[in-house]
Amino acid sequence: MSWWKSIFPKRASDAQMNTELRFHIDELIDENIAAGMSAEEARRRAMLDFGGQEKFKEEVRDVYRIRVLDATLANLKSAFRFIRKSPTFSATVILTLALAIGANSAVFSAIDAILLKPLPFPQSDQLMRLQQRHPKLSIPNPFVAPIRLEDWNRLNSTFQAITGYYTEDISETSAALPEEFTEALVAPRFLQVWGVAPALGRDFSFEEGRAGGPDAVIISDRFWRRRFAANPNALGQKLHIGNSSYTVVGIMPASFLFPDRDVDLWSPVPVDVPYAQSRESTWYTAIGRLKPGISIDQARANLGTVQDQLAQQFPKTDAELSVGIDPLKETAIASSRRSLWLLFGSVSLLLLIACTNIIALLLARATQRQHEISVRFSMGAPRGALIAQLLTETFLLALLGALLGLLAANAASGVFRSLAASLPRVEEIRLDARIVLYSLACSVIVTLLCGLFPAIRGTRRNLYGSLNQASRTQVSGRNSLQWLLVGIQVALAVTLLSGAGLLLRTFQELGRVSPGYDPSHILTFQISVGWGETADLKKLRQKTDRILEALRSTPGVEAAAISVGVPGVPFKYQTELKLVEGRAESEPKLFADNHLVSASYFATMKIPMLEGALCRETDGPPSVVVNRSFANAYFTDSQVIGHHLEASNLGYSGSAEIVGISGDAREAGLDQPPVPTVYWCAPVAEPGTYFLVRTHNAPMTMAETIREQIHDFEPQRSVYNFAPLEQHFSDALAEGRLRTILLTFFAATALSLACIGLYGTLSYNVNVRRREVGLRLALGALRGQIIRQFLWQGLVVCIVGCVAGWVLAAASGRLLTGLLYGVSPTDIPTLTAVILLVLVVAAVASLIPATRAARVEPMQVLRNE
Amino acid sequence: MPIEKSDLLQGTLDMLILKIVALGPVHGYGISLRIRQISKEVLQVQQGSLYPALHRLEKRGWLAAEWGASEKGRQAKFYKLSAKGRKQLESEESNWNRLAGAVANILQTAQ
Repeated sequence: MSWWKSIFPKRASDAQMNTELRFHIDELIDENIAAGMSAEEARRRAMLDFGGQEKFKEEVRDVYRIRVLDATLANLKSAFRFIRKSPTFSATVILTLALAIGANSAVFSAIDAILLKPLPFPQSDQLMRLQQRHPKLSIPNPFVAPIRLEDWNRLNSTFQAITGYYTEDISETSAALPEEFTEALVAPRFLQVWGVAPALGRDFSFEEGRAGGPDAVIISDRFWRRRFAANPNALGQKLHIGNSSYTVVGIMPASFLFPDRDVDLWSPVPVDVPYAQSRESTWYTAIGRLKPGISIDQARANLGTVQDQLAQQFPKTDAELSVGIDPLKETAIASSRRSLWLLFGSVSLLLLIACTNIIALLLARATQRQHEISVRFSMGAPRGALIAQLLTETFLLALLGALLGLLAANAASGVFRSLAASLPRVEEIRLDARIVLYSLACSVIVTLLCGLFPAIRGTRRNLYGSLNQASRTQVSGRNSLQWLLVGIQVALAVTLLSGAGLLLRTFQELGRVSPGYDPSHILTFQISVGWGETADLKKLRQKTDRILEALRSTPGVEAAAISVGVPGVPFKYQTELKLVEGRAESEPKLFADNHLVSASYFATMKIPMLEGALCRETDGPPSVVVNRSFANAYFTDSQVIGHHLEASNLGYSGSAEIVGISGDAREAGLDQPPVPTVYWCAPVAEPGTYFLVRTHNAPMTMAETIREQIHDFEPQRSVYNFAPLEQHFSDALAEGRLRTILLTFFAATALSLACIGLYGTLSYNVNVRRREVGLRLALGALRGQIIRQFLWQGLVVCIVGCVAGWVLAAASGRLLTGLLYGVSPTDIPTLTAVILLVLVVAAVASLIPATRAARVEPMQVLRNE
Repeated sequence: MPIEKSDLLQGTLDMLILKIVALGPVHGYGISLRIRQISKEVLQVQQGSLYPALHRLEKRGWLAAEWGASEKGRQAKFYKLSAKGRKQLESEESNWNRLAGAVANILQTAQ
């Protein structure tokens, strides 16, 4: 109750009141004494006369208590009564707001979980992603050489620790059938950097991170539950992976999902094994934890110095490298930031349209309630109290709308999660107190935005006298304000629709793109291979060949190939290449995307060979095929075939002869035009390599046959991730599809709201002018004229709104650049189609009230007057 | 027989207070005294009604109040009419006269 006292400083006013009353009593006593009473009797009578002091002191206090609570309760009561009395109006407002606030809260919950909340690790703002950058590559190499990572960790002074990891899919063979798992292979200090300890067991020991030390794994909570039924005895058990067995030393808490939610095991990579000593082979995704109080700029400067030292020490490999440091959260979410803000922007426009709609409804309502309001005025209600009452009504509507919206958002969050599965951190999206608070804030803003203006306007003093006028004879003002609101709604709806239209056109254009290969009837899958097997490339190659041969001999399979990345899915491995024959300094340097494929790749994907021959899968000197873009970009006037390329950091030693030119293919994504590309013939299935099989029938029908076929002669390997190639395309476009679907949905909603607004305003207008229409009909006006007049009234507003919307759309089109493909942000056909659509829908919405106006019976209307 | 507050038409007490205060700054006791005297003891204002009414009128800005010394030197709260209160009084007076005239007309004509 202390807040109560602080608002109403009772003691001060009480003291004053006591003084005031004591004066009155003293005067009464004097009066009684003057009338001849004894002093004692005079006092007694005066007190008696005065009555219960406390009781009316309380009444006086009441005057000051503005009666906030009482007034609010009374207002709420009357607001409920108002809602009950006008169910259609209230339902319209509540549903409109439920839709708008619900959509807004749903998108906000995604923004909150993905963009705003810190990553789920202690002091996660200290976590940084480190990359080694090469100035000539447009995309930094995402990976770091293990030995360089150790150097960085040892020499820097700004990080608590730097670690790294990479993942591979493995088969675990202690059960009856080999089971596929995702294993993260980690550099030392992994858990130290995350600041997370195992829920059970311990971190890796020093010996376990050394060559020849004991083999150990830490398992994920998910794996622990699935494999060991959450039994704590799992600690110390052995897991069989490849040819070795690993001891389970720790179990991570369920909340630890790194690198991603699919990881089952973590195991250390010994720092001192020979294959980790190359400064050129890069595998680790590097993560560091800053020391407390160190800024990212300090860390950049510090590691820059460290790398300069390394450049002097190892000029051949390190001279041109620099270090890139970015907050881990940024690198995790950067790609989806624009999509999410775009969605939030459009959903806020939707809320704005809903508000505009509600303002128009409330204004119309206020006109109908003029009578009630003037009665309240004449009974002495202050204007503030009336405004408070009207605002309470709006707030109650907004609150009910927000609650309904929250329920809808909660129900929709499942849909959102499945639509948005490609977004990072999507598993963290949930309805929590912050979202509820956000919705509440939304409803307060809506109340002020929608309620204040109609409330102030509806309680203007000049309405005071309207008691005298019968409301039915009153022709309302020109209600140009309502029309302005309709125009705003139309303009905003046009803006949203053009955005949606452009995104839809983008999808249409993507569907028309010819990728340069035939993606239908291709089945993709992976087979578990450990990095350890790459030590004996010859053996691995024989095994790969055997698998490919077996696949080709399977009935129903036309062709089979391997590729390190899936065609049409972003996977970039851009490097600088050197031409053995030498190039003039003036000529552009050779940069190209590299793809490691088997020679059968071209036939399987139906990528045409334009010149020369296929690359040779021999043990001899390697050979490569380049695409037409490569030939056109770098060899304008000389023969390409016969030159030799060198790429030091691809793991190939020696030079590779260019033996053929292939057609251009969109390897990096349907929306990415072909870039200069080199296909290296690598008939070895490294870990993560995709197998591509061209089938006669629907690709997925072959999955089981292939799995059994391979199990027959490779029982140790698991075959997994079966999917048609077109599924990968679809997944790669998932984020684009998400924003297109949602934006289209918001735009359609916006259009229907604008139409409801137009319909409502025109209907209201028709109602108010019934008498005029009746009179004109009686005087011989044609019904067609009446219809045309009202239709035109609605359409003029829409046309003006469309023009304004066009301008808005053109101005905001720039926000979409980069998200569009094959269509410019100011695409005239799209904008024209949008405006035509809006005008047609608006004409339909106007036609109904307009024809109703023309059906007025003149005699009836005039008789009613 | 004296008429107590409950018998007064709602809003009439406010008008009477405004009218008394219009004559010059006066304290609560003075107001109740004058109403009694001027109405020749017909109207009796209970303190329980007077003070809430005074504070209500003060809060609406129709009355202004300040502390001062009474004729006998006691500390008292003096009320006076504000410009807003004067306007309110005028409108209430004319309303009252219209109403009273109308009621009187009916009573006379209906006799």
